[in-house]
Amino acid sequence: MKDLPRCQAHDESRPRMSRRAVLRLGLAAASVPPVLLRSRTATAQIGGAQPTAPPTAPAAELKNPVELKAPKVKASSPTTLSFWHYAGFHVDVQKFIAEEYKRRYDPNLSLEITAYPGLNEQRVGVKSALAAQSPTPDIIGVEPGAYAVDVYTSGSVLDFTKVFAEDPEFQRGFWPNALELLTINGTVVSVPVVTNTVIVYYNRGLFREHGLQVPDTVADLKKLGAALNAKGITPVAYAAGEDRNHPIFPYYTYVGGIKADKLMREADLGLKPWTSPELVAGADFVEMMAKSNLYAKGPLGIKQPDAIQILATGKSAMLWGGQWMRRSIRAALPAGFDLGMFPFPAVVPGGHKPVLSSVGITLTVNARSKYPDLAFEMIKALTGAWGKIEYTRNLGLSPNGPISTEAIAYQMQSLKDPLYPEFLKLQPTGTTRVLFTPAVEEAMTQGMQALITGQKTAKAVMESVEAVSRKLGLRKFRTG
Amino acid sequence: MRLHTAPRPWRQAAAGYGFVGPALVILGAFLLYPIVYSLWLSFHEWDGYTPHWGPFVGLENYRALADDEVFWRAMLNSIVFVVVRTPLEVSLGFLLALLLNRRLAARSLMRTLFFVPVVMSLIVVTIIFQRVYEPNTGLLNTFLRGIGLGAWAHPWLGDPATALPAVIAVSVWKNVGFSLVILLAGLQSLPHDVLEAARVDGANAWQLTFRMITPLMRPILALTALLSIIGGLKVFDLIFIMTRGGPTYSTEVLATMLYREAFELNHMGVASAIAVILVAVVLSIARVQAFVLPESQEWGTG
Repeated sequence: MKDLPRCQAHDESRPRMSRRAVLRLGLAAASVPPVLLRSRTATAQIGGAQPTAPPTAPAAELKNPVELKAPKVKASSPTTLSFWHYAGFHVDVQKFIAEEYKRRYDPNLSLEITAYPGLNEQRVGVKSALAAQSPTPDIIGVEPGAYAVDVYTSGSVLDFTKVFAEDPEFQRGFWPNALELLTINGTVVSVPVVTNTVIVYYNRGLFREHGLQVPDTVADLKKLGAALNAKGITPVAYAAGEDRNHPIFPYYTYVGGIKADKLMREADLGLKPWTSPELVAGADFVEMMAKSNLYAKGPLGIKQPDAIQILATGKSAMLWGGQWMRRSIRAALPAGFDLGMFPFPAVVPGGHKPVLSSVGITLTVNARSKYPDLAFEMIKALTGAWGKIEYTRNLGLSPNGPISTEAIAYQMQSLKDPLYPEFLKLQPTGTTRVLFTPAVEEAMTQGMQALITGQKTAKAVMESVEAVSRKLGLRKFRTG
Repeated sequence: MRLHTAPRPWRQAAAGYGFVGPALVILGAFLLYPIVYSLWLSFHEWDGYTPHWGPFVGLENYRALADDEVFWRAMLNSIVFVVVRTPLEVSLGFLLALLLNRRLAARSLMRTLFFVPVVMSLIVVTIIFQRVYEPNTGLLNTFLRGIGLGAWAHPWLGDPATALPAVIAVSVWKNVGFSLVILLAGLQSLPHDVLEAARVDGANAWQLTFRMITPLMRPILALTALLSIIGGLKVFDLIFIMTRGGPTYSTEVLATMLYREAFELNHMGVASAIAVILVAVVLSIARVQAFVLPESQEWGTG
């Protein structure tokens, strides 16, 4: 079987274009308007640099610069793998990759995809199936954090130790910081299909019109907020009313901004107190942000579609949200709306700009699957060098690891999103936004809501989180 | 000539069991078994992932609930939800039924319009009302600002003080049509001769409504209230979608807490204990039916 190159490497058997030509092609495909932002140099915490395609002009149809790698194991008779996840908009590209895999390498293998309407529904279904010791689904989409911990520590899923040992190249294709979020008790228990970041979208036209600058620090952001409020424009639309961990975003941002991720992780595992000065300062930051008139009114009553609407109608100048909102934002914006983005300003003077980063759905294999080897091969097809380029070319989310400039140029042919390269630049700089202990995450969510509504002080909130954490004792798992 | 003899008792019984058997099997499998299973599970520890239950913990899960302030908050919210929703739903439904029982020009159209929310998907209703309540661009606040009441504009779902009333209002809006239909059917089955006699005796509309119609409608009103109370105690989807029990547990009810404990915190034993308590409360209230509703209602004719 031919050993095909990784995504970053060039395939020597293919006719090569010069780097300059490729860059030109990518540029025009992107149709990027003049970049007003000066380049960001957010400090990379973990992971390397991501090459990005500068804006350029298309000439010929580009192709995926890497090949879909052949599997080590194939189905001996017609076999259908079942795959349950919770991201409906991923289904088309998953089907495409599975069909390509079937066509090229394993005609006996089919993938039956069930996309639940949301994480909650899928989690209930998976939980029932695992408790019933069902071999279905073969492939399970899980979230990093508590979900991954639950399925792994209960012995319900397999880890990637053997797969990575047999194919180290596959492992090297992922961002180390993404795999770190999925490492439990020393082993990687699932792999991400994509990664994404939380940034600040902004109305570039409005900024231009009022002569406003993108803020570098939170102090600048507050000044900008005051200037916008004076003009009757809401500074930031923030969907704190969205479920999962949205209310904790500001806290994660602060902790990432002062590089206290490790401390937060240790507190999450019950190894350090939540009442340390750094972690209480995070809660102070959340309170300060809520009181600073930066957010659109009633952030806990705002969901993602509402926040998008607030930005799109020009009521707010900025939207603090995730890369996953990009398509919805584009769809809601009126023609001519000049959308820009920037990483959240430095939370402390001289500090770096924290970008919350996480993985989207991650894939693992049911420990009772009848076809674990085939399931791992399918996961490799979906998330490997070729798959990740096709996957993110379709969705516009960031890949699960670095990809080549040629690959980006190829993606930009169809993506038509000038912000995509910006996201790629930020991804490796990301700081975590994951808590692993469900009860702690719940206490943090409620605590952040109490801070936003002014019901509790920062100290009281962190004391209540610490009380919950202490009650749980030392966790039965380790992460990272 | 062959004489007709009564079927033997065992054959009669067998035929009866044969007819009700399938229904009993279904009831047993999908109602009784889960209830008994939940009861048993409430005495155990289990994370919901492992195939086997954890250790027997006796009443520990119930004790944990008794010590949990979130549980009491959820219990209180459930009671408030029922106590506020039921009178509103039944009284509004009754008023509308009285109105639509009269000869009105667009009676059929109005009846249909009031029933539309009942048949609308709850997901659609919650999404609509999320947008209605949105503090910045939402319909309600925009309307208030438009009529000069901008000071009343409020983050309805984002403020712990107003989140529960806002959710109750949606629930009333969604369900009032159901009460209306039941009560209207009741009104139309009232004995006309009694009402006519009252009119002949000089009863005015007020007296007719409160001295005649309301007492006659008592069983139907009680049934409607009972259905509303049980529906209110079981409410889950509306709150889960709109607020997920927040902010700061201000809309947490027993059913949302049950879900959180079972599927987010992996405390299946505690969740089962909540389920047992919820079932006990609902069954107790349902038993009230025996006292409030007579088995058969015969309209008195004097």
